[in-house]
Amino acid sequence: MLAKGRGGKIRAPRRGLTKDDVDFDSIWTTLSTAFLEIHGKNASKLSFEELFRGAYKLVLKKKQDLLYDRVVQLEESWLRDHVRPRILSLITPTMTVGSLEQTPGAQSNERRIAGERFIRAITDAFADHQLSMGMITDVLMYMDRVNSQDQRRPSIFATAMALFRAQVLRTPLTDDPRFDVLSLLESVILDMIKMERNGEVIDRPLVRACCYMLEGLYENFTEDESTKLYLTSFEPQFLDMSRRFYADEGRALLAAADASTFCTHARRRLVEEGERCQQTISSITDVKIKHVVEKELIATHIRDVIDMEGTGVKSMLDNDKISDLANVFDLLARVDHTKVALKQAVQKRVIELGAEINKAASVISDAPPPPRTAPRPAADGKAAPEKTLSQQTQAAITWVEQILALKGKFDRVWVEAFQRDAVMEKALEISFQDFINANDRSPEYLSLFLDEYLKRGGRDKTDAEVDALLDHGILLLQYLANKDLFETYYKKHMAKRLLMKKSVSREMERQMLSKMKMKIGSQFTQKLEGLIRDTELSDNLSTQYKEYVDRLGDPDPKRIDLDCRVLTTTVWPFETLFRTDQDDESRRECKFPAPVERIRQRFQKFYLDKHTGRKLTWMPSLGDADLRATFTVNGKTRRYEINVSTYGMVILMLFNDLAPGESLTFDQIAAETNIPRSDLVRNLQSLSLVSKWKMLKKDPMSKDIKLSDKFHFNEDFSSQFLKIKVSVVAGGANRIENSEERRATQKRTDDERGHVIEAAIVRIMKSRKTLSHSQLMSETLQQLSARFLPDVNMIKKKIEALIDREYLERGPDPAKPSYQYLA
Amino acid sequence: MAVSGTPSPSPFVTLVSSDGFEFHVRRSAACVSATIRRMLDLQSNFSEAQTGICHLENISGIVLEKVVEYFYFNEKYRNSEGVPDMDIPSELCLELLMAADYLIT
Repeated sequence: MLAKGRGGKIRAPRRGLTKDDVDFDSIWTTLSTAFLEIHGKNASKLSFEELFRGAYKLVLKKKQDLLYDRVVQLEESWLRDHVRPRILSLITPTMTVGSLEQTPGAQSNERRIAGERFIRAITDAFADHQLSMGMITDVLMYMDRVNSQDQRRPSIFATAMALFRAQVLRTPLTDDPRFDVLSLLESVILDMIKMERNGEVIDRPLVRACCYMLEGLYENFTEDESTKLYLTSFEPQFLDMSRRFYADEGRALLAAADASTFCTHARRRLVEEGERCQQTISSITDVKIKHVVEKELIATHIRDVIDMEGTGVKSMLDNDKISDLANVFDLLARVDHTKVALKQAVQKRVIELGAEINKAASVISDAPPPPRTAPRPAADGKAAPEKTLSQQTQAAITWVEQILALKGKFDRVWVEAFQRDAVMEKALEISFQDFINANDRSPEYLSLFLDEYLKRGGRDKTDAEVDALLDHGILLLQYLANKDLFETYYKKHMAKRLLMKKSVSREMERQMLSKMKMKIGSQFTQKLEGLIRDTELSDNLSTQYKEYVDRLGDPDPKRIDLDCRVLTTTVWPFETLFRTDQDDESRRECKFPAPVERIRQRFQKFYLDKHTGRKLTWMPSLGDADLRATFTVNGKTRRYEINVSTYGMVILMLFNDLAPGESLTFDQIAAETNIPRSDLVRNLQSLSLVSKWKMLKKDPMSKDIKLSDKFHFNEDFSSQFLKIKVSVVAGGANRIENSEERRATQKRTDDERGHVIEAAIVRIMKSRKTLSHSQLMSETLQQLSARFLPDVNMIKKKIEALIDREYLERGPDPAKPSYQYLA
Repeated sequence: MAVSGTPSPSPFVTLVSSDGFEFHVRRSAACVSATIRRMLDLQSNFSEAQTGICHLENISGIVLEKVVEYFYFNEKYRNSEGVPDMDIPSELCLELLMAADYLIT
């Protein structure tokens, strides 16, 4: 109703019409005839105004209740006597027998046609009924208005719809009251849906119209949303039927199809059901039916599919079936947000592949190391053990490269198939951590890998590629549990790079450290940064020293340039740079040739003048020297510039003082120079056995160095190069440790860890004063886990040790072990 | 129910009073009345809808004139504010009220 300009409701004046004598029966006769005409679709002959006026008058005469009842009676008899028989006549025996059983061949087709005709008749009848009732309601609008004001009765339209339900749909077909037209209608619809699921084409708009009707009808007059026939009757049956259908299909599919087909099929079913809800039944079922498919088809079987032999996730991963994996992930994510099944399958595969990589690496590195002390000079002069060792180093690098390749592969799967899912990311991370840490050499391998690419020279990779590789290497670092062990190795390797001037650039080293710092914190890189700092200070120092020497105005034409690296003892990994098993010998200071000794002393003086109170220890085993050497044969003199290790220089200079043809024995050389025995052996090997730079002749010409061997200067030496770099056997380059060295490293790491653990315990106790045993343990573990995986027994031992040293004391109650901090 | 939206029907309809006065009214204005709107509903297709002529047997010409005036008045000011008062002669008040009730306006 539209509001009037001045507002306010207008009540019908009841007076004033009394003068017309209203005859109910005559008006009702007109109305009822007209209503039947309307049902017969002959409305065009009727005057709305006349009918409306008639109904209006009856209501004004307060006859609306009688009118209402008469209309209900009229509709009831119309539906019962005209609509119902028409529909019942369409029911054929084929339709009623076993609604859901498959009937074969022609019979099924016949049944299908009959079914379609049947539901079409019902929907048509309903549409007609709706239309006619719309018109009748229009005519009776005034009655409805009065009725709804009084709220006594539902609108005539709603009543008429309820009549359709009662008189037509609820018509019992047999003695069983549950088997009525509605249930038959539903079973026909379900049959059609089943046919469509099996790939046949059905009349979707027809089914849609039926569902629309069921949505428009209610169980009672209150017309609650929840009492729609669609929800109370059809939908439960539909869901139940679908549940059975998909349970069967899931079993059949699992038996017959491979994993990939299963997933594709399941996905297609989900899309189909979505479409069906949009186009054939009702969209309110969408969520529910998808839930059924998810439960029956996916949740029940997905684990079997994932683990399916030969085609499951394992083979998908192996064959890079990204789209299949995406399917699996998508399906699983629907039913299980923790994705346990897929997580386990992927983790299992990662760990398997990782174990293979570990195994491949350990096969090479556990091969019995050839005796290092008995080298045979090969034809090209390269000693055999070195080759094997570099092979092992290569194995370490291959190990890292394989892991990176594996990680690259799974990262791609994660991005493209797992939609960057956080759960899967975590799972992958854990698996990588697991197998990387299963290899107890991984810290060393990783450091070797980084060393390989931080070293100068001769690699067929561009800077960008190297950068990328290094970045990836650092990614792996995050997975390492024993970061302290890595630090030890990295420090050693880095120290060698810096001292041997093998590093690509100092800038690069610094970048590398800052990357590590970003990933695992500044505490880790502190000491490593110390290495670079020392190197830089030494550069300055060398420059200052040169200026100092220039100022001295030493006119010596044979002046020797000295370039020193001054290294802080606590920062540099001396233990690993010098063999500790030769402690006694290396403590003896090497005897330098006189000119060199002078230089050394001068520098020492210079340095100690600058920094009083420090002690300089010389480490000749780490240096090298440039020499200019002359060889004279038959009066012809050849000059070469030779770069040898410091020890090599010391040895060669001994021969300066010898008359031609004289020789020195090994023992003599050792006594003259004080060079540690093993270093001496290696240097002599390199100088006397490698043909490229054979400056010494050895007598006898055997491959081994014996104490009695004699050496004399090789005047016949010649080379096509003017500059020669003499490398020392098994020297300089970073390589994998042999088992002996590994034990040493392990021991040092354990000692180191001991200190770190003690420090952590004291730190914790100092702030907490009193703490129970378990709390102390867990806090200690937590503090240390960033650096390494602490051993619980070791922590216990350290606590004991601290009690012995009276940092701590036990709590008074032995039942509840606790500790107190003693200031 | 916008009847004017369907293509075929004329945009004008004829309202006939009990005493035979005919008013040609824009269909959209006449449909201000819910009764007339249903009367002219093309889907129901009563005779009025076919002919476009509505005989209103219990409204006199004088009243219907005022009613039609109101139809246009309502249509014009339907969605506006500050609407001027419509002039209603007091002698027609009661009859107009009855007509409004009948026409469900």
